[in-house]
Amino acid sequence: MQLDPRTKLVMIVCITTLAVIYSTPGRLLLLLACTLLLLMMFRVDAGAVWGYLRPCMPLFLVLFLVQAFFVRGGAVLLAVGRVPLITGGGLAAGAGVVLRLGVVIAAAVLLTTASSRDFVLGLVQWKVPYEIAFMVSIAIRFLPVFREELINVVNAIQLRGVDLKQVPWGRKIGIYRRLFFPVVYGALIKAQQLSEAMEARGFRAYPQRTYLRRLKLNPADYVLMLSFVAATLVLVWVQIRP
Amino acid sequence: MAFLELNQVTYTYRQCGRPAVAGIDLAFDRGGITAVIGPNGSGKTTLTKLMVGILRPDAGEIRLENRPLRSYSLAGIGRRIGYVFQNPNQQLFCNTAAEEIGFGLQCLGWEQEVIGERVAFYLDYFQLASYRDVFPLHLSRGERQRLAIAAVLANEPSFLVMDEPTAGLDAYRKRLLSDYLQKVVSLGRGVVFVSHDADFVRRVATRVIGLESGRIREDSGGDRGHAA
Repeated sequence: MQLDPRTKLVMIVCITTLAVIYSTPGRLLLLLACTLLLLMMFRVDAGAVWGYLRPCMPLFLVLFLVQAFFVRGGAVLLAVGRVPLITGGGLAAGAGVVLRLGVVIAAAVLLTTASSRDFVLGLVQWKVPYEIAFMVSIAIRFLPVFREELINVVNAIQLRGVDLKQVPWGRKIGIYRRLFFPVVYGALIKAQQLSEAMEARGFRAYPQRTYLRRLKLNPADYVLMLSFVAATLVLVWVQIRP
Repeated sequence: MAFLELNQVTYTYRQCGRPAVAGIDLAFDRGGITAVIGPNGSGKTTLTKLMVGILRPDAGEIRLENRPLRSYSLAGIGRRIGYVFQNPNQQLFCNTAAEEIGFGLQCLGWEQEVIGERVAFYLDYFQLASYRDVFPLHLSRGERQRLAIAAVLANEPSFLVMDEPTAGLDAYRKRLLSDYLQKVVSLGRGVVFVSHDADFVRRVATRVIGLESGRIREDSGGDRGHAA
């Protein structure tokens, strides 16, 4: 389906708004299913979606366990003596957090179905200052680069003979903690170099910019945008009404 | 028995239709310096990444010390083969140059005194002693390249794979590197390097493998090789 990138942005905003508003696992699961269906309609490869979700699995597990053990409510499912360990409310909260993050990540995969240039163009045509539009597009473009960089660093560490799978957790955390600063600082250096390169090529030389192409919203874009916004408003109202 | 053997190795990147390397048959022994040459996009870097297990072949098999490469962990490969990345930024991750060189040794549990001596030697040999406490990404391109090479050499692996090690080096530093590679080979270790530097290849390499469109075009001095 060929849609304007702005339509996709509206879809993402609507889906993530619902993900924040919903708190029950059932509704969030339904929202996740709808998001995955939408991705299938955009012919996004299921393997690619899994590729984005898989690295988050350890984080999902930690969040689930923290919520499951520390949120109290509902029937006690597991107790040590008189102390309740896991409750129905805790499990629901854990599942809710994981599903919410899953929805947000899956919705963000929609961004990969259009080029970052088109997103910039779309935002600029919506009167967003082009500096901010560029910033957003660079952030989108650099996420995979940043991920690639982390993979390279982990490969480089292992190729120096350090088996991260065998290293005890205490030392492993120490290694990762040591890596955090150089990786983040390296990213900052790259950002600085990029900004210098952009300014050297005339970025922000004039307040106005012209563009070779202009995006045009088709009737299908209007219909989808209005449908998504209307459906979201109704669902939010249903959710928050007294 | 070859130290490292590639049999009918083929690899295709997911985003690319045609194979980056196809039907590669190569064998490397410990000892000797092999240069891999070829135009941009001919599959040189892909070949080196396959040799060190960063990429897994779609077809064919790679064997290290007569065992399938896939049966080794990346760390297991790293203890036998040192790899210098094409871009030094990809392998520099410590807070100082000295820490970078000592990282592998420290993680492998070497004594602090030995680590200190080895770090001092490599800093001195690659003329990085004055940058001992400098953040690696603040160094110049050539200095980063030298540091990346030093950090890999410090582990003293049995075999070295280097992707464009002379990029960013001046003539004097290239000579230092070639001297060191000769020394490495004299200790019974093998070296494979990718290069566009014809002079360096001519001076250092005992075997030259030419790649073109992912296939072997020439292999002068090797045991096996297939012309495309």
